[in-house]
Amino acid sequence: MILVGELALWVALLMAAWAATTSFAGGALGREDLVASGRRGLYATTAMMVLASIGLWTALLTHDFSLKYVASNTSANMPKVYVFAAFWGGQAGSMLFWGLILSVYSAIAIRFVPLKSRDLVPWACGTLAVILVFFIATVCFKANPYDRLSFVPADGRGMNPQLQNPGMAIHPPNLYLGYVATSIPFAFAIAALVTRRLDAEWLGIVRRWSLLSWFFLTVGITLGMWWAYVELGWSGYWAWDPVENASLLPWLTGTAFLHSIMIQEKRGMLRKWNVVLVVTTFLLAIFGTFITRSGIIESVHSFAQSPVGSWFATFFLTATGVTIYFVATRLKDLEAKATLESMVSREAAFLYNNVVLVGIAFSVLWGTLFPILSEWVRGSKITVGPPFFNTVNVPLGLLLLGLTGVGPLIAWRKASTSNLKRQFAVPAAAGLLVGIVLFVLGMRDGYALVAYTLAGFVAATIVQEFQKGISARRNIHGESFPVAVVRLVGRNRRRYGGYIVHAGIVVLFAAFAGLAFKKDHDVQLRAGETKELVDPLGHRWRFVSQGVSTSETLNRFVTAVGLEVFRDGVPQGILTSEKRQYFDSNKQPQFEPSTEVGIRPSAKMDLYVVLAGVRDETAELRISFNPLVVWVWIGGMIMAVGGLIVMWPQAERRRAPSGYVATLEPKRELVATS
Amino acid sequence: MQRREFLARSFAIGGAALVGAGTLGAQQAGQGDTVATGQNGTSNLFDMNQGAARTVTRPPKPGARPSMDSDTRDALEHQIRCQCGCTLDVYTCRTTDFSCQVSPAMHRDVMALVEGGYSAQEILDAFVDTYGERALMAPKKEGFNWAGYLVPFGALAAGAAAVLVVLRGMQRGSTPAEVPVDGVTVPPLGTADELAKLNDAIRNDD
Repeated sequence: MILVGELALWVALLMAAWAATTSFAGGALGREDLVASGRRGLYATTAMMVLASIGLWTALLTHDFSLKYVASNTSANMPKVYVFAAFWGGQAGSMLFWGLILSVYSAIAIRFVPLKSRDLVPWACGTLAVILVFFIATVCFKANPYDRLSFVPADGRGMNPQLQNPGMAIHPPNLYLGYVATSIPFAFAIAALVTRRLDAEWLGIVRRWSLLSWFFLTVGITLGMWWAYVELGWSGYWAWDPVENASLLPWLTGTAFLHSIMIQEKRGMLRKWNVVLVVTTFLLAIFGTFITRSGIIESVHSFAQSPVGSWFATFFLTATGVTIYFVATRLKDLEAKATLESMVSREAAFLYNNVVLVGIAFSVLWGTLFPILSEWVRGSKITVGPPFFNTVNVPLGLLLLGLTGVGPLIAWRKASTSNLKRQFAVPAAAGLLVGIVLFVLGMRDGYALVAYTLAGFVAATIVQEFQKGISARRNIHGESFPVAVVRLVGRNRRRYGGYIVHAGIVVLFAAFAGLAFKKDHDVQLRAGETKELVDPLGHRWRFVSQGVSTSETLNRFVTAVGLEVFRDGVPQGILTSEKRQYFDSNKQPQFEPSTEVGIRPSAKMDLYVVLAGVRDETAELRISFNPLVVWVWIGGMIMAVGGLIVMWPQAERRRAPSGYVATLEPKRELVATS
Repeated sequence: MQRREFLARSFAIGGAALVGAGTLGAQQAGQGDTVATGQNGTSNLFDMNQGAARTVTRPPKPGARPSMDSDTRDALEHQIRCQCGCTLDVYTCRTTDFSCQVSPAMHRDVMALVEGGYSAQEILDAFVDTYGERALMAPKKEGFNWAGYLVPFGALAAGAAAVLVVLRGMQRGSTPAEVPVDGVTVPPLGTADELAKLNDAIRNDD
């Protein structure tokens, strides 16, 4: 099976090249037979990529250490689940995984293109096949997981212990599913540009796939934050590392697109801007991959000095050039079909929101690349870490949070003064009330106060919108409250699913602001010793050391410290933190020791204990009180649920035409219906 | 924009960019076509450079007393980057990973400078003298670094200004959609020409 997989990889490359050639030729010559051949070539590529992937999984699970990739990423004593996850744990495997997802996505997207958009198929299929050629060729020539060693080692080197975590097993696939999904909108955008069929039809396909990408990126980013928090032991979840930034960039522009597409659907405006956002999202996914795999930027978890960097750079530049060419030569086809009636309208508000989202994306990209720029200009290396990103992005983030509440309250086309007063009175009052109450209670951190005030405002806008909709349903249909809620959301999934996403954003920002009150303490404890600390909410905590213990399990030595914890004198149980030293089958230490954090989560605050090390039987600990961290995960889940509701297919309902319709009936009279 | 015009304009930019990519490719070819040199020879998470610590010392000031309490010192250590390769600050690294020998060494230097009566800024300057500016978690707000801090806001302001200009242009280009007649707003049915054609069609049909 391993050999079959290896051969399938090469056949996949040929099939993808065939699909690209015949699709483009079919599109250019108007030959349906060539288009069909290209389509079948794409399906064959998918089948070959599935086979190639099964081959690598077989090699991993059967511990075929003759393969360099298997020997480098796994060992015989690793749990099976992480051996399985090693498929995407290293450079070559992750590239193959990327190709696998892309081929499956492409086959689905091309197979289910609506009949009315059939003209786009040759160009979309060809574009996807070209992207596949690039990824498969990169795997074949630059990062081949089937490369063999000249000898067969008795055991592999294993996987970095910090990657042996459930979060890490599922976080990368989600991110890849999100990154790769940006290819489909890109391909259909190119197809629409080539064919100059830039009407609303291609947007339907693009919107579905953009939502899918956004959903997986949201889940992947949240899982990544969770993994960093529970596994890395630095008591935080976002370090503005280039790899993290690379995942945020397409999420930001994708989010901007999902807002601005509504303006094109409803008003026929922003057609150029939407094309630019679609292609930018894809290009940022590629660029992010390039900067994290080329080794040009220092990152804690980048694929250092990888040989694929120059290939990605070339592909990125080529794709950018092709895209700029098509956009530049089709500007007239992208003219807006409607005009703006007021600067105070929902479409204008969405545009302001787009400016901020793209502005944040730019600032993240700028900060990520600034060390390189600085080195070019000044010749000296600098670090651009969290203090920089927080200085720049916190104000922009708060501006975005405010706009999250403003957009849905303003009417389409033109908002009247009375409309603004009616819509904003209660939410603005609610936000101010939150701010004043927190100030009176003693909160003095400026950013946190602004964040909670805006969070109160946005939350009130969401509640107000739901309350209006539910009241209307109850009045008109006489429904009970739960039934009205379910039907309101179920029958207006895009609108209310979007509000649920906004609710998730509010929760996230509230949780982020909680970090302003985080407290860390260095503590040294011998067995039986006690330490008392006060948390940011004024509770008194007592920690009694149960001493340091050592043990050995399947593939690691464990040094652990147990703390008996009391809060305000009430026992809270034992909290344990570990230091783990992983070893191979010969009991030889592998990797640096890793940390297993002791966490006691609660809605208000996490107690976070890290065993930094042991010296003279004294445990060196960091004890942190991290307010509201649980709400980061809850906020991410709410956003994902909202995204699912928006994405969930809704059956088209036949509606009687509304308004006045002039028709020439046999009786030759003008008929008015309402 | 026509194809020829586009190609002419983009030739110089594209050529320069591809030369850049080629240079990067040449650099990487020089590194050899081997798998990445991460900790396990594959990927993910850094190789710890245990020998990165250098000594940062200054003679104690005359009659020196500790210049700050431990909380302030911890906050200061959040501004200094550990040089082991972890990308964390000194405080976070030394309290997270006891196997790192760099952050404890840097912590000892910070403590000695605090005991020697040096202010936070003097301590930061001492670390920059020894390690260069990359000893800091964020670039100093001076000289070219201001570009780092200000360009995002400048770009946002420029973007917002551009959007306002575009929106105003779109607004000016729009024609009134509604014509008030005797206090009643009536939506126009079509152009005069279209209405005449419609009337003709109805008359002829009769």
